[in-house]
Amino acid sequence: MRRRAFLSGVGTAGALALAGCSEVVETRSLSGPPVLSNRPDAVYFPTHVEGMAMTGRADAGEYAFALMYSYPHRFWTVTGGEVTRTPVEEADDVHLMATVWDPETGTVLPETGLDVEISKGGELVSQEVIYPMLSQPMGFHYGANFGLDGDGEYEVTVSVGGTNTRRTGSFDGRFGDPARATIGFEYSQSDRDGIAFEETPDRAGDPTAREPMEMGMPNSVLPPADELPGDPRGTTETGDAVLAVTTLAAPPAGVDAPDGGTYLAVSARTPYNRMVLPAMAVEATLTADGTLFDGALTRTLDPDLGYHYGAAVDAVPAGADLELRVPTPPQVARHEGYETAFVGMPPTELTL
Amino acid sequence: MREPDATGDGGRSRRDVLKAAVAVGGSVGLSACLDAIDGGEGSGTEAVPSGPEDLSTLPTRQFAWGEHIRRDEFGNEQLPAHQTLLYLTLPGEGPPTADQRATVETALTRLDEAYAWSHEGLLRSLAYSPEYFDRYETALPEPLDIYPARRLSPFETPEFDRQDALLHLASDRPDALLAAEQALTGERASANGVDFDAALTDVFTVDDRRTGFIGAGLPAAKQGGLEGVPEDGPVPDGSPLFMGFKAGFARNQAPEDRVTIQDGPFAGGTTKHVANLRQRLEDWYGEQDFTQRVMEMFSPMHAENDWVEGVGANLEDGSRVDETVATIEEQATEFGRVGHAQKAARANRDPDGTVKLNRRHFESADDGIASLHFPSLQREMSEFDAVREAMNGQDLTEITPAVRQRVNNGILEYIFVRHRGNFLVPPRDLRALPTPDGDAPQ
Ligand code: HEM
Repeated sequence: MRRRAFLSGVGTAGALALAGCSEVVETRSLSGPPVLSNRPDAVYFPTHVEGMAMTGRADAGEYAFALMYSYPHRFWTVTGGEVTRTPVEEADDVHLMATVWDPETGTVLPETGLDVEISKGGELVSQEVIYPMLSQPMGFHYGANFGLDGDGEYEVTVSVGGTNTRRTGSFDGRFGDPARATIGFEYSQSDRDGIAFEETPDRAGDPTAREPMEMGMPNSVLPPADELPGDPRGTTETGDAVLAVTTLAAPPAGVDAPDGGTYLAVSARTPYNRMVLPAMAVEATLTADGTLFDGALTRTLDPDLGYHYGAAVDAVPAGADLELRVPTPPQVARHEGYETAFVGMPPTELTL
Repeated sequence: MREPDATGDGGRSRRDVLKAAVAVGGSVGLSACLDAIDGGEGSGTEAVPSGPEDLSTLPTRQFAWGEHIRRDEFGNEQLPAHQTLLYLTLPGEGPPTADQRATVETALTRLDEAYAWSHEGLLRSLAYSPEYFDRYETALPEPLDIYPARRLSPFETPEFDRQDALLHLASDRPDALLAAEQALTGERASANGVDFDAALTDVFTVDDRRTGFIGAGLPAAKQGGLEGVPEDGPVPDGSPLFMGFKAGFARNQAPEDRVTIQDGPFAGGTTKHVANLRQRLEDWYGEQDFTQRVMEMFSPMHAENDWVEGVGANLEDGSRVDETVATIEEQATEFGRVGHAQKAARANRDPDGTVKLNRRHFESADDGIASLHFPSLQREMSEFDAVREAMNGQDLTEITPAVRQRVNNGILEYIFVRHRGNFLVPPRDLRALPTPDGDAPQ
């Protein structure tokens, strides 16, 4: 595997562009600085940044897969409103990351089950269901730390489950089946140790995020709020998440709406870089003269709107009030800089 | 790589050697096993009980095991500690001949003569796949609910076991288990004092051999060096399963009558699904505490109310899961988790409360990897599929995003389906290469 280590200037977007798609920068925690003591309840710049290496790509079934690795990380898992730190274990050698997308539209699939089986010379080394995760440079992906069995040639089989999320438009009826692909991984500790790593004490804790990386494959960046399809109706914020609202004149195919009507869509994204925030529970109350809608929005994957939370409603008149509640914050694990944001998410309102 | 703890050494007791021999199998395993028996001074090895004088006293149902095994103090069935699955293929195409049938029946009759129908002797059954019945021009009778194995969740890609037949052997006596297998596969001329003038391998070839064990203490004893179980050996000594809990409570198991096919040529038979599930217990023991394990195995309600102590022996003869089913969605929302037993039980009851499935799963250390062999008996194969669908809990991912396809969703994060096979267990008089219309002409 050809990898170019680059060890300077990793803190800037310019250097990232130099890195091409085989090396991008993201956060690392193995021998990194301790977690900041005064983290804001918001997105913040991490204590350090690091590179990662592309292991390989493959296609299987309806899906395209990419596999990347870096140093093992600390990360935080989220169950309901509870955030639990997963420290790096002594036996961990790498943090493996996988992305799955639809090769036809480039849409990253953010809410399914993914497992990784690692073998070496035909012998099982590990197998785990890996977690949906959010990192600043990469956005949504699946990841976990793994211990390996020394330097050498590994085979990594990535299996994706058929999704249960509602799919609409041309996605209606797609992504229901599982698929798996095997990607070769030539690992050596010295290669791994050549991956860039830099502490960022000057910026750590700042209310900002790293830039999304150009990785030569689709990422989970959503369109700007005012470029959403349909009639963009404004944005509101909660827990540092941006909720962008749009309405479509008719619900997309795949939405069970016997009376037709209007489609209300909420697109949830990170501040600064518009990474998708999937797997939340979202409820909405829409009022104009009386209540027009009051209930849960459905997690939905659509080729035009992207991943969003939506419902068919009779009408969304100008000037209507929309209250959005998030009883369950995004159920995705977090890399450093995202673990305190998008957790406490009080109700929020906007006038459409 | 790690090696299973399967080679004999001086420091081990004869009992250890016998247990290890089942896992190793083949002639190496058997000779280790027999050496241990022969070498045991004073021997102390009790004779393995032989079959009855009158073979017609044997049960009609090949799966009539429940009345012939140990029970614990609460009446829960204790499956035989050592078990072997032999997947058998008929060479060539088309239906078998009358001669082949006669050979199979002879081999099984010798087994009947050699071993008592009990956990101290040998329990056994020979089942046939739908693919086997495809060798005939006639189809299986319409009302029979059986079909080739298929994918049962949106997140699995198993290999399907489509071999013709499945021989299942089970005993508390590893020496009996091995000797019987050796006699049936032609590697031994006699077993337990009976000469075998026919072997199953005169007709079949053995396509795959899988072994396992179950019972308090065995998983803890086997966990060392096993791929899938954390190295610090977290499996409790008293647990019959790697995951640390008891299973198969009497009131959560279908009675054998409930799984018996009632009508038609295969009345007295049953359907048998056999899956193999790889287990990966690093996070089960490493990331979860006991309370969370109880939530994910049983239900959040079990954890809230401290219903489960240790491996769950305090539950006596019933898991109390019925009390947790109606509010499963509320529990999912409140705790962000749902329980394995709770989900599965949703589809596992008749209207009068009778349990539908009889689960007879046991653990395995085959290839040095922790896995579970999961035979389940039910009257209709589709009853199994429905229970598995309920266990998938994909509906609960819509209730709250905290419950994901395989995370916080019972034990799905820790089990990986490797194999699935569907089989028909005919009644005993049709156990030798039956025709689809329920005949076995020799
Ligand atoms: C490693 C894998 C598994 C382990 C360790 C395991 C363990 C358990 C335990 C401890 C219970 C509660 C006690 C009991 O009633 O037996 C249970 C219940 C149950 N399990 Fe599993 N199980 C496994 C896989 C499966 C699979 C693959 C199925 C297939 C459908 C299944 C079906 C059930 C059912 C139906 C119940 C509830 C029984 C009822 O209706 O009350 N289990 N399991």
